[in-house]
Amino acid sequence: MTIDLKPSPARADRDVPAPLTLTRDYSTPDRIYRAGVRISGGGVFLLLVVIGIFLAWSGYPAFQQAGWKFFTRSGFQTLGAHPTFGVLASIVGTVEVAFVAMIVGAPVAIATALFLSEYAPLKTRRSLIAMIDLAAAIPSIIFGLWAVFELQPNVVGFSTWLSHHLAFIPFFKVVSPPLNASIFIAGLVVGIMIVPIVASICREVFSLAPAGEREAALALGASRWQMIRTVVLPFGRGGMVGAVMLGLGRALEETIAVSIILGGSFTVTAHILQKGGSTISQLIAVNFGSGGTLGLHDLLLCGFVLFLLTLVINLAASAIVNRSRSGAGVDL
Amino acid sequence: MTTTLSSTSPADADHPTPFTGTPELGQPGQVDAHDVCAWFGGRLVLETVDLVMEKSKVTALIGPSGCGKSTFLRIINRMHEVVPGAQLAGSVKLDGVDIYGPGQRAMETRRHIGMVFQKPNPFPAMTIAENVLAGLKFSRVSPADKDDLIEESLTKGGLWNEVKDRLGELGGALSGGQQQRLCIARSLAVKPRVLLMDEPCSALDPTSTLRIEQTIKEIASEVTVVIVTHNMQQAQRVSDYCAFFLAEENQPGRVIEAGKTGTIFGSPTDQRTFDYVNGQFG
Ligand SMILES: Nc1ncnc2c1ncn2[C@@H]1O[C@H](COP(=O)(O)OP(=O)(O)O)[C@@H](O)[C@H]1O
Ligand SMILES: [Mg+2]
Repeated sequence: MTIDLKPSPARADRDVPAPLTLTRDYSTPDRIYRAGVRISGGGVFLLLVVIGIFLAWSGYPAFQQAGWKFFTRSGFQTLGAHPTFGVLASIVGTVEVAFVAMIVGAPVAIATALFLSEYAPLKTRRSLIAMIDLAAAIPSIIFGLWAVFELQPNVVGFSTWLSHHLAFIPFFKVVSPPLNASIFIAGLVVGIMIVPIVASICREVFSLAPAGEREAALALGASRWQMIRTVVLPFGRGGMVGAVMLGLGRALEETIAVSIILGGSFTVTAHILQKGGSTISQLIAVNFGSGGTLGLHDLLLCGFVLFLLTLVINLAASAIVNRSRSGAGVDL
Repeated sequence: MTTTLSSTSPADADHPTPFTGTPELGQPGQVDAHDVCAWFGGRLVLETVDLVMEKSKVTALIGPSGCGKSTFLRIINRMHEVVPGAQLAGSVKLDGVDIYGPGQRAMETRRHIGMVFQKPNPFPAMTIAENVLAGLKFSRVSPADKDDLIEESLTKGGLWNEVKDRLGELGGALSGGQQQRLCIARSLAVKPRVLLMDEPCSALDPTSTLRIEQTIKEIASEVTVVIVTHNMQQAQRVSDYCAFFLAEENQPGRVIEAGKTGTIFGSPTDQRTFDYVNGQFG
């Protein structure tokens, strides 16, 4: 028996076949599963669209009344013959509160997460993690009350110190005291509030950093911190951004704690240390049902603005999340 | 081609150099392990191991899995203590200095005693070149000529010809065998005195395995090599000395026999060694 092996002819005189079109043949359970996943996934998206449309639709009468001035004015005076209302101060206040909250909360949360996943002694680690998870479940009204009675009296002194020493930064300038019930204090509370949830997610992400790469760094003579910077942080970058964005979402929408702190004056101000300011959700919560029909339309329009704000920020966040692997962007 | 290392860190002056009496980096060192025991979570897994790993020689650690070879290897460069709940006893001397002695820092030890793991573990998002230089960055040492050092290390690792035109590509983009050779090059770049290799070829194709064996033979003159292997032929091909580990039922691992590779394979004194090297068990 012989096997006749013919050499294949040279490339030139053979046609390259067209790529195959592969058909997928799913089994029935697989189909059901796919359909289920699609429906629930699509449902969430649909819900988002429906909410957006509802807000825009029911807020529109207020926009008809105020026009584009809605975005350049501040206030909630919807009754009477000459109503004036607008969202400007509340947008500015929302962004300022969220900004302060992130500046305070994100670094603390990330540091806490690193401590829990990398440094805490094994014995205490579990109970610390349980405590953090528990703290994430504390209702915001509790934080609000605590802030008013405990935090605020103690922070006013710090605010004063900031206003004395860092007044060259416009944010820390004070033109009219007092320094309680300020955007700064509201942001501080929200910042503290978001620490547990952000820390909890970050810790989870850090603990997933590949053990092999951790050991590689250590075996090359890296210190613990160098190992973290080379392996854990680059690996966790995407998750970290996600967690912080989740916290930012909470900071933007936080209502109760902020409403308790802020007095609710509609002044557009960069001086976050002094009394005053409002946020969108605070504006809605405090004034709900008090402004007649037009007031209701106004508040729904404000809701639409908040909705867009959160959407934009989350889209921006998802654009940032990439390249989350060891060594990415590390410059030791 | 020689590469001189210059230290840019003033930190070196602050604390005494732990390993005195050795001329320079890149000189092979001798490892003396005495009475080494290891525990995981209170369970004794390795009992009173005495082993000398001769300077400039290749020592192979053989034995069935679970007998404590990896544990012993990790004790030599202080990686054992990274595992939560791990404990050890005994002493390990590098050129006469106990690496577990007072004032010895694990980081410092690991710079002198490098390690290649069973599973290739380059930093996937660093380039090939950055991977090679990673160890030096950790010790804040900048080589006189980076390109020279990269070429030298990759050549020693047997990878240079394959990657010389794409040093800027990511380490994670290489094949498994290439990644492992990159890891070897990365370890060699810091000019360790001892290189520990834990089954470096167990996940690799035959060609990559041969390359790595070649590499081991070539580097033995400048670095002492300790290699764990399950491949008897490999142990015979690459090693000068051989230690047979065994953990009998419900017993911690022990060294049953150690000596010249030829003796261990040709005329072992212990029946269990004979059985193992002749494929009777394990
Ligand atoms: N991280 C660990 N935690 C608990 N036990 C371990 C751990 N690593 C290894 N062991 C145990 O230690 C013993 C020796 O393991 P190892 O040194 O990995 O053996 P080998 O490398 O010879 O296969 C085994 O019984 C193993 O179960
Ligand atoms: Mg092993």
